[in-house]
Amino acid sequence: MNEILLSNEVIVYLLSETLLYLLLFVAFIVTAGLLRRWNFDAFTTEQFRLENRSYLVMTIIFFVMVLKVLLLPYFVYTIDALSDLVPGAMCGAGVIKANRYGNPLLVLKIVILFMSGLWLSINQLDLQAKNYPYLKLKSWFFMALFVLLSAEFILDILYFTHIDTINPVSCCSVIFGQVGGANGLPLGLDIPKLLMLFYLLFALVVLTLASNLFLLSIPATLFFAFTAYYAVVYFFGTYVYELPTHQCPFCMLQKHYYYVGYLIWGLLLFGVFFAIDAAVMQKIFKKPSGTLKRNALLLLSLFVLLCSAYVVIYYLKNGVLL
Amino acid sequence: MVILEKVSKVYNEGTPQAFEALKEIDLSVAEGETVILSGVSGSGKSTLLSLIAALDKPSSGKIEVGGELISKLPDLHASAYRAERIGVVFQHFNLIESLNVEENVMVPLIPSALPLADIREMAAKSMQHASIGHKALQAVKRLSGGEKQRCAIARALVHDPELILCDEPTANLDRENSLKFIEMLEMLHTLGKTIIVATHDPLFEKLSFVSRVIHMEDGKIIKHEK
Repeated sequence: MNEILLSNEVIVYLLSETLLYLLLFVAFIVTAGLLRRWNFDAFTTEQFRLENRSYLVMTIIFFVMVLKVLLLPYFVYTIDALSDLVPGAMCGAGVIKANRYGNPLLVLKIVILFMSGLWLSINQLDLQAKNYPYLKLKSWFFMALFVLLSAEFILDILYFTHIDTINPVSCCSVIFGQVGGANGLPLGLDIPKLLMLFYLLFALVVLTLASNLFLLSIPATLFFAFTAYYAVVYFFGTYVYELPTHQCPFCMLQKHYYYVGYLIWGLLLFGVFFAIDAAVMQKIFKKPSGTLKRNALLLLSLFVLLCSAYVVIYYLKNGVLL
Repeated sequence: MVILEKVSKVYNEGTPQAFEALKEIDLSVAEGETVILSGVSGSGKSTLLSLIAALDKPSSGKIEVGGELISKLPDLHASAYRAERIGVVFQHFNLIESLNVEENVMVPLIPSALPLADIREMAAKSMQHASIGHKALQAVKRLSGGEKQRCAIARALVHDPELILCDEPTANLDRENSLKFIEMLEMLHTLGKTIIVATHDPLFEKLSFVSRVIHMEDGKIIKHEK
């Protein structure tokens, strides 16, 4: 058997994913039945049975969604740990590129993280009401999400069973090769323009959220997330590594860098999620979103402060910038 | 105030041990009315009360209390409904033995955001109504049966509920204490409370303030008596 599949991290990860997928599969079957027969206005035995069953199945989905959110950092930790087994890999960047399933899997996981978060928010709204107003919506949403979760499960299996431990992979070397750092940037940006865009978009996100301009805050937040990814990899990350040619999103997840990558990417992902969730709750569900907004502002501000702090501290220590 | 339409309750549904405790009950209780549910043990009285109290859900049918549909309340809201709108007096009192009388009476108000001083004041008022104020600091385990029942009544009244449900309230009381309990019910009736008492105690059958005695048998209402 492939030695990847025998590593402790992969065994725990795949076992957890399989168990959660089995629970989701049961939830999917029950939810399909709920959607077919649900009629809140009926006072029949069947409807009461469906209401009891819906409570059970939504609790299962809630439990699984929360665990899926926690499993994302564990997945990242797992691929980082596998870098010892994959020739050529120095961090998760090499392992994720070890086959063609890695990158789509990572992107899918992030999409599922956002959708699971939205499902949890809708579920919370439904539980707060007396008459299950969002039961059908959250059930349909779950059915759609289940398709993605199934794709994720298949990709998980394909990815971990197809990691080659004989032929070397390219890791940060591709990125290391881009001396100067601007080569990999999108939209013809260079570092000064990227940074300007990064701080301007952050200011726009804060402004639109604080002024409840939610229709603007969604595109601003998404564009900020896109820019922030490049800003961290091509600029702020180099200050984490204290090496201008080291442009990698994964190495900062390692012990050598005090696992700060988890904090940086976590603040960005959750900050962006709360900003979008606040907008969705306010515009679509007409519900107050003050707490979500505050969470988004707090997390994104911490993200920007943390990234900027690395640059400032480096400058104060060394008197120069990289 | 309380409306039940075709309410049924089956325990162990879908199993060989299935038991139909209530069979398509229709019942209406007006605001301020005092109603006695009478019947032998197993006739469905306690099940009916537990459904009105939202302690359980029916298998089918509609239950409304004060215009609110409670037969479908999710658990979170059922708790709030019980805490705000109803008071329940149980046969076995269901007091917390390790607490004193005042603390037991204060328990239903703990989830509220009221200041402690206000909670104490409300508890004192309720204990006075139930004639148990003089034992406020006494441990519940040292009370007599009658005193325990008065403590349970004080607890049921502390949040000023509009509906009071009593399940076999005199089953553990002697005649003297049962009569005192009935006096207390009459006092609550004059305060305009809606009261439903499930009992098979004959002392309740000829009371002037009781508007109806509803006889139950085998999960059905068989007779309304004025």
